[in-house]
Amino acid sequence: MKAFINGYESNSCVGNTKELMESIYKQQTGITIDTSYMPESPVGLGKMKYNDFFESLSSVVTAVLQKSNLENFNDTLLIVGSSVGGMQESEQHYFRDKNYKNIDSSRHAISVISDSLEKEFNFCDSRSISTACTSSANALLLAKRLINVGAYKNILVVGADALCYTTVCGFYALSVLSSKVCTPFNENREGMNVAEAVAVLLVQDEQISDSIELVGVGASSDSYHMTNPDPEAKGAIASMSNALQDAKIDAKDIGYINAHGTGTMANDTVEGLGVEKLFGDVYISSTKAIIGHTLGAAGAIEAIISCEVIKQGIVPAQANLTDAQNKNINIPNENIIQNVKYVMSNSFAFGGNNTSLIFGEIN
Amino acid sequence: MSKKVAVNIISASKIYAPKKIEDLEEKRIVPKMIIRRRLTRNAKIMLFLADKCAFTNGRIVYASAFGELQSTVGITDAIVNETLISPTLFQNSVYNSAPSYFSLLNEDKDEIITISSGMKSSLDALKTAALQALVSNEKVLCVATECLDINNIEEVNNCTNYLEAGAGVVLEIAHDESGAVEIEESKEEGLIDSLSDLVKVVKMWENGYKKVFINL
Repeated sequence: MKAFINGYESNSCVGNTKELMESIYKQQTGITIDTSYMPESPVGLGKMKYNDFFESLSSVVTAVLQKSNLENFNDTLLIVGSSVGGMQESEQHYFRDKNYKNIDSSRHAISVISDSLEKEFNFCDSRSISTACTSSANALLLAKRLINVGAYKNILVVGADALCYTTVCGFYALSVLSSKVCTPFNENREGMNVAEAVAVLLVQDEQISDSIELVGVGASSDSYHMTNPDPEAKGAIASMSNALQDAKIDAKDIGYINAHGTGTMANDTVEGLGVEKLFGDVYISSTKAIIGHTLGAAGAIEAIISCEVIKQGIVPAQANLTDAQNKNINIPNENIIQNVKYVMSNSFAFGGNNTSLIFGEIN
Repeated sequence: MSKKVAVNIISASKIYAPKKIEDLEEKRIVPKMIIRRRLTRNAKIMLFLADKCAFTNGRIVYASAFGELQSTVGITDAIVNETLISPTLFQNSVYNSAPSYFSLLNEDKDEIITISSGMKSSLDALKTAALQALVSNEKVLCVATECLDINNIEEVNNCTNYLEAGAGVVLEIAHDESGAVEIEESKEEGLIDSLSDLVKVVKMWENGYKKVFINL
């Protein structure tokens, strides 16, 4: 069975999916310079507008259900990808109380997201993936395989991560945060912007009028370093090659790569090298200059962006690009109006965990 | 709707202790001290279980409901105390740390999936490992660990008598379903539920049942 993306919605620092694509194409960033996490160290963050993160999560899932061909999710498997789960709430209790007594362990875990959605929507089953910044990309990878083998007809993939002190201050400790809006692939880039998002995709085994096919998935491990990517880009090349092999297409068939492109020195250098070696002059840009790095939600929200690029036929420019570090890859300075048959989306994570997804236009 | 597959359990191992598991054979398994010192407790238990299962390379499905609690607590304590956060603590705080260390030490460049499905983590890991075995036709390591041995854990722990625990199996798709059995209902008293399904399979393997059905 083939896997089709038949619906999606998102919420990020620039708003819903419609607003997301408008922001990307107009190069209007949602990143703000923030001192609430570290008063003496301003950093660029992508903050959503919500009173309760879980209300936002529920409303995005509801929007996907309402636009779908399903009456409910009773015959749908839920797969969640998240890197922090309920950490935001646990931090609030711990910072206030200085003990664990008011922390509900089930609301601390990654599975708090699937638990809350199962309670509200009554899915037939659920599972949660946590592979840091590839979490929801791996959720999509598993969704495709489960559809391919005929295990499920409907799978809802949710990528969700809320901002918390642990991630903002943790990335700061690694010296990879930017004090301004990030500038992926620039020669003189400063680092990344941590962000939050909810992104939801309905993957089904039947094609509908505006389906996008999830044609290929690939993954690999660097086996090099816990946080730094393999400088020869072997891991990135392996995941991209595996996705191409799964899709049964050639590198030249890819019209656009939505890069992981965090804006850190290490990631963009290695990803650029990998794309240079495998693809040559394919269009590549990172949308993290608009929405930041949404961590465990990144794979899902960038999957939505990839589907929209195919539907709208517009390759997004690289925002904030002034002087590209790698002159051998094709980073567009302005939006390119062009029919794109296949889009690849890359996600790379701590531990050298790499995942590449390929989305295809339906003929 | 779901799909049921039969898997051969090739090897299996489990270990748990009320507080700290004493002998994980770390010096033998990880001779280089500089790497050994960086390992999390979950990583040490996972490496021990992989060694007992004689697994050195290939796809891994790892599961943990609570992940790297010790690293997370170290980070939040540093924030509360306004001290510097250790970069090593942060890199070790992600849920896929343990299998990533295995990948580093064994030069394993294959796929790693980490499941964190609360109290059904090891069941979902078995389902995912069976899927990975089905699509690759290769052997897959399915391993789950929990390390809750942090200061004051009694303030929140109401789910286990064993603060360190883990179980692992190496499985492959059985192309012949004959002799395959359903996973037996059994309960290991005091063990955290997030590991229970994998522990059931290990115990079945120890009792001679080496082919089980798993619903994807």
